[in-house]
Amino acid sequence: MARMTNLYDVSKCTACRGCQVACKDWNQLPAVIEPFTGNYQTHESTNGDTYTIIKFMEHEDPVDGIQWNFLKFNCMHCFDPACMDVCPQEAITQTEWGAVIKDYDKCIGCQYCTYACPFEIPKYRKREDIVTKCTLCYERVEEGLEPACARTCPTGALTFGERDQLLQVAEERVKFLRANGFPRATIYGKLELGGLNKLFVLTDTPDKFELPIDPKVPGQITFWQDWIQPYFGWLIPVALAGSAVSFVTTRILANKNGDHTEGGHE
Amino acid sequence: MQWIPEYKGDVPRVERFNFLSRFTHWGHTVTFLLCLFTGLALFLDSADWLAAIFGGFHGAGLVHRIAAVAMTIVVAIFVVGNFKVLIAWIKDILRFGLNDIIFIMKFPFEFLGFKVKIPPQTKFNGGEKGNSMLTPTAVIFLILSGYIMWFPAIFPAGLVRLAYPIHDISMVLATFMVCMHGYLGSFHPGSGESFWGMWKGTVREDWAEHHHKTWYDETYGDKASGE
Ligand code: HEM
Ligand code: HEM
Ligand code: SF4
Ligand code: SF4
Ligand code: SF4
Repeated sequence: MARMTNLYDVSKCTACRGCQVACKDWNQLPAVIEPFTGNYQTHESTNGDTYTIIKFMEHEDPVDGIQWNFLKFNCMHCFDPACMDVCPQEAITQTEWGAVIKDYDKCIGCQYCTYACPFEIPKYRKREDIVTKCTLCYERVEEGLEPACARTCPTGALTFGERDQLLQVAEERVKFLRANGFPRATIYGKLELGGLNKLFVLTDTPDKFELPIDPKVPGQITFWQDWIQPYFGWLIPVALAGSAVSFVTTRILANKNGDHTEGGHE
Repeated sequence: MQWIPEYKGDVPRVERFNFLSRFTHWGHTVTFLLCLFTGLALFLDSADWLAAIFGGFHGAGLVHRIAAVAMTIVVAIFVVGNFKVLIAWIKDILRFGLNDIIFIMKFPFEFLGFKVKIPPQTKFNGGEKGNSMLTPTAVIFLILSGYIMWFPAIFPAGLVRLAYPIHDISMVLATFMVCMHGYLGSFHPGSGESFWGMWKGTVREDWAEHHHKTWYDETYGDKASGE
């Protein structure tokens, strides 16, 4: 099956947050009210009951003055998901069309996935002791529907479809934007981390949207997963085997020398 | 076949460990093993059979945390309540010298049951000195990294990510040492008598003199300072 992706075109987004509401509604997530921080952003980041947020970012550009950007932020559904690698419960799987999904019956809330994710997207939900994130609405997609957020979007900033086709759309759009006042417009998600099953059209460089320009799985996590986890544990059976050998040889040697009772030597 | 060297009450015995040392040693042994088996259920990537013993993974996680807190308390009791013994222990470790190096070089033979001549040892022999440095250090790292993994939200993300490999490395090193250590302190015919030192508090006087000559002489023998 072809990869199915959400394309988000920031140049068409009005930050109405319809997607945020639609996501809450479809996933039956309770409202989470965070204190006002002097910014239009509703939540600091994704959280256990909020799979997607619109981020609001301000920065000052020496040429263009104050710039105000927003971005729909949620799981990127990586081709090669770090969250899936670290999960000790194999609770995270990938559908054949590219959604990275979780089985909450298996999840134990260890939060390894939160810290392995290059974007720190999965978040802890205390009341059930699990870690949650966007599902790419896989139940809807498998019924032939669009994700709730894409369906709601009134401006066409969010579209859902085959990744190959959306990639062409995105490339055309970036060309257009570059020629029309956004010289730094770019695609995000095409190559990052070997490819994301989530595409962005950005009007400026990714860092202006608080996205890492070259996202990477943190070094501590690869060291842990690729070196320590698979190989280091073998020291334990070595110690057990050594003790077992000694248990036998000490008794054989003691029998030979005829001193079983003393338990000492010399 | 004989498992542990028989306890002999009718021969002269000398004290090796006070009550608090013994109590905390067995306290951290039980909690360490509980943490180990509940932790291995995750380390071995979803070992359902192991988790089943503790009533599934949520049960195992709970046992891991209860045992972790109990172990922290036990270690704290030892450090605070047995401070003098702790200092004496550290001082003994710092006496690491030539005799300890010779001990460690000859140890593989002793371990397998060959008869080797070992120079006089202090209260803790070369191998025990090594164990006394490595295992408690690993346990301290386990405790520190463990609490960071338990409450990641209050620590910087980089530290949480570092805690994962540290917890596993310390777990493997400590367990490697504990496997050998637990065996030597029980079933090994040469050193097994030390088990009674940790269980009842005393060891056979002749064993003490033979295995820890320097300590024996300084504490009970000719060179005892008459305390
Ligand atoms: C104060 C002491 C400790 C604390 C607070 C602690 C805490 C934790 C936490 C929070 C986890 C994450 C998994 C979960 O949520 O259940 C964990 C995993 C683990 N712990 Fe501990 N722990 C402690 C001591 C130990 C000890 C003594 C051992 C072994 C000797 C151990 C071995 C493990 C292992 C093997 C894992 C699994 C790591 C993996 O998935 O690769 N822990 N511990
Ligand atoms: C598995 C069962 C265990 C047995 C049978 C055992 C036995 C013993 C014995 C007999 C001693 C006294 C040695 C002497 O006379 O000097 C001792 C000391 C000690 N034990 Fe254990 N122990 C066990 C588990 C553990 C565990 C799990 C730890 C720590 C995580 C530990 C840490 C120590 C330390 C640090 C010492 C002092 C240094 C040394 O003598 O090596 N033990 N143990
Ligand atoms: S963005 Fe993070 S949570 Fe989503 S698939 Fe990638 S690693 Fe997993
Ligand atoms: S929190 Fe849940 S999904 Fe995430 S790594 Fe742990 S068990 Fe897996
Ligand atoms: S795809 Fe579904 S779960 Fe993900 S943000 Fe959109 S509505 Fe929410």
